Amino acid sequence: MTTRLGPEHLRCARFVRTALLAALGISPAAVGGTLTVTMTDVPSATGELMISIGDEAAFNGTAPYAVRAILPARVGTVTFSTDALPDGSYAARIMQDLNGNGELDSNFVGMPKEPWGMSNNARGNFGPPTFEDARFELTGDTTLAIQVRK
Amino acid sequence: MPARRDLLRFMAAGGLLAQVPLRVHADVWQDSFAQAVQRDPWLRGFRSVQRETYDSQATVAGRWPAGLAGTLFRNGPARHEIGNFRYHHWFDGDGMVHAWRLGPAGVRHQGRLVQTRKLLAERAAGRALYPGFGTLPPDPAPVTSADDVNVANISVLPHHGKLLALWEAGSPWEIDADSLATKGLYAFNDDMAGVPFSAHPRVEPDGTLWNFGYVSDGGFIVLWHIDRNGQVVKAGKVDVRPMTFPHDFLVTSRHIVLLLPPLDYTGGRAADFLDAHEWHPDRPTRVMVVDKNDFSRVQWLELPAQWVFHFGNAWEDNQGVIHFDGARAPEPSSMLNAFRAVMRGERGDTATFVHHHYQVDTRKGTVAETPMFDRGFQSEFPVIDPRVSTLRNERLVFLCTDDAHRVVHPLLNGVAVFSHAKDHLQTFWYGDNVIPEEHLFVPAPGSRPESDGWVVGTAYDAVADQTRLNVFDVRGIGDGPVATATLDYGLPLGLHGKFSGA
Repeated sequence: MTTRLGPEHLRCARFVRTALLAALGISPAAVGGTLTVTMTDVPSATGELMISIGDEAAFNGTAPYAVRAILPARVGTVTFSTDALPDGSYAARIMQDLNGNGELDSNFVGMPKEPWGMSNNARGNFGPPTFEDARFELTGDTTLAIQVRK
Repeated sequence: MPARRDLLRFMAAGGLLAQVPLRVHADVWQDSFAQAVQRDPWLRGFRSVQRETYDSQATVAGRWPAGLAGTLFRNGPARHEIGNFRYHHWFDGDGMVHAWRLGPAGVRHQGRLVQTRKLLAERAAGRALYPGFGTLPPDPAPVTSADDVNVANISVLPHHGKLLALWEAGSPWEIDADSLATKGLYAFNDDMAGVPFSAHPRVEPDGTLWNFGYVSDGGFIVLWHIDRNGQVVKAGKVDVRPMTFPHDFLVTSRHIVLLLPPLDYTGGRAADFLDAHEWHPDRPTRVMVVDKNDFSRVQWLELPAQWVFHFGNAWEDNQGVIHFDGARAPEPSSMLNAFRAVMRGERGDTATFVHHHYQVDTRKGTVAETPMFDRGFQSEFPVIDPRVSTLRNERLVFLCTDDAHRVVHPLLNGVAVFSHAKDHLQTFWYGDNVIPEEHLFVPAPGSRPESDGWVVGTAYDAVADQTRLNVFDVRGIGDGPVATATLDYGLPLGLHGKFSGA
């Protein structure tokens, strides 16, 4: 009766430790509305928040994320927005990298040890969230609120 | 007997399924039980506990043995209903930890429901929320970690100054040993937080602690090695797919032994835990023998399909032969069937448990099993003197029943002391409506291992609706209790305990 919330499901590959935003392969003509992500319940100001937004292929690890960003962690709420995404179906995952190793650390059986969150606040059910659990539609200006917690 | 799922498939093929309510929800189980308990007093042992806490003095009768002092901690499923919903399996009941404090001044009983996340969440919601071991409530909430559904209801472990309440698929819960208040989930260290820790750890006489845990979705079993101070010495993972779930295991001076029954985990999010398993009677029970010093060294052997909830003890001779004993059933119908049916107030079919002696020859790579008693003599809840745990034991204490001592209830009704050396069995039979729970061996202070001491166990008198603690001299159990301590209330039937000396 255990779950499988492995790091492989949440790890955002190696984050490029650049400033804010990396938009990959998105032409300006394709850009839709503004996506605003409000990260809530951030438990501490330690380390950085890493957010990755992508389609199903990116979520399942077979394509790069369309948007990846690193923000300083702050207790409570941290907001991020991007204009880089065309309208479509996406999922967002967030992790708080407490120790700066660029990964969501997991324990002996693969359960996350650092705070994390996903769009729809998906937490999984007898296993990690699926893309469908975390899926949201970007249609024009869109706002998401995502809890970041252990 | 086929697994429940096979049975359902069979009925579907025969066009019978439409007549069979697949999932009977809400008050049907509650009503069915409420009617049955009027008819059969023994079912009172499966009522939902009505109180959050207990604290009272028991009435002592007989001659209390000098030297018998300490606390019997016990655990078991106790809250079986929330609102108008009754759980569909005995093992889904939320755990209540008890402390029977024994001494010359009398006997005090305390009990307290473990304040698990699940209990608190369901109380706040006013309804059953989560899929359980054998229960799927309507509109279940997602389960994001095993500890969401950890009901802390199987056993207790006093160790390195802590009292832990144990489930088997999640973390231990730390309990205040004096007040029985719940302190919270217990982690041996940061990396092992949330790692499953079974309800049947084995403790060596020097305090070294071994345990296992199962991670169903991961397809592996975790092994724990913890020192007497509660520090994790090492942990390991063994891939055991096809995944199953053992309930108990064994430790010798050199090896760890697990029996893996052919009760395959099939996964699935829509089912309760039991329904996510299939029994395969045509396949062997695998025997996994692991080197205590190196968890990557695993020897695999096979026995016929069988189900063993509980083992007594294992020890290893100087020829590399492991000896152990267990209460063996040909299949797990008690768990799949009878412990569900009892929640509706019915007697389900169940296989018989006959105690077996096993020998694993680690050098030749063979395993053999032999029944220790006649087929009509059933056993369960085997225990030993804790001072010979993992070493050669001569004595076994267990609950029993046999064809000559049938009573009105279908549960065990006797307690037995067996001597391997003398091949001698003593029994005491409880009355018609009295249901014994696990009985432990409590050594007399200063005695040599497996010599003087007492058999101490609780029993529920269903007619009087009282729970009673019974004390027997281990050398004369057939003479009946030398002392008893009776509560003026009955407790839900529980599972396992540990005695902690004064």
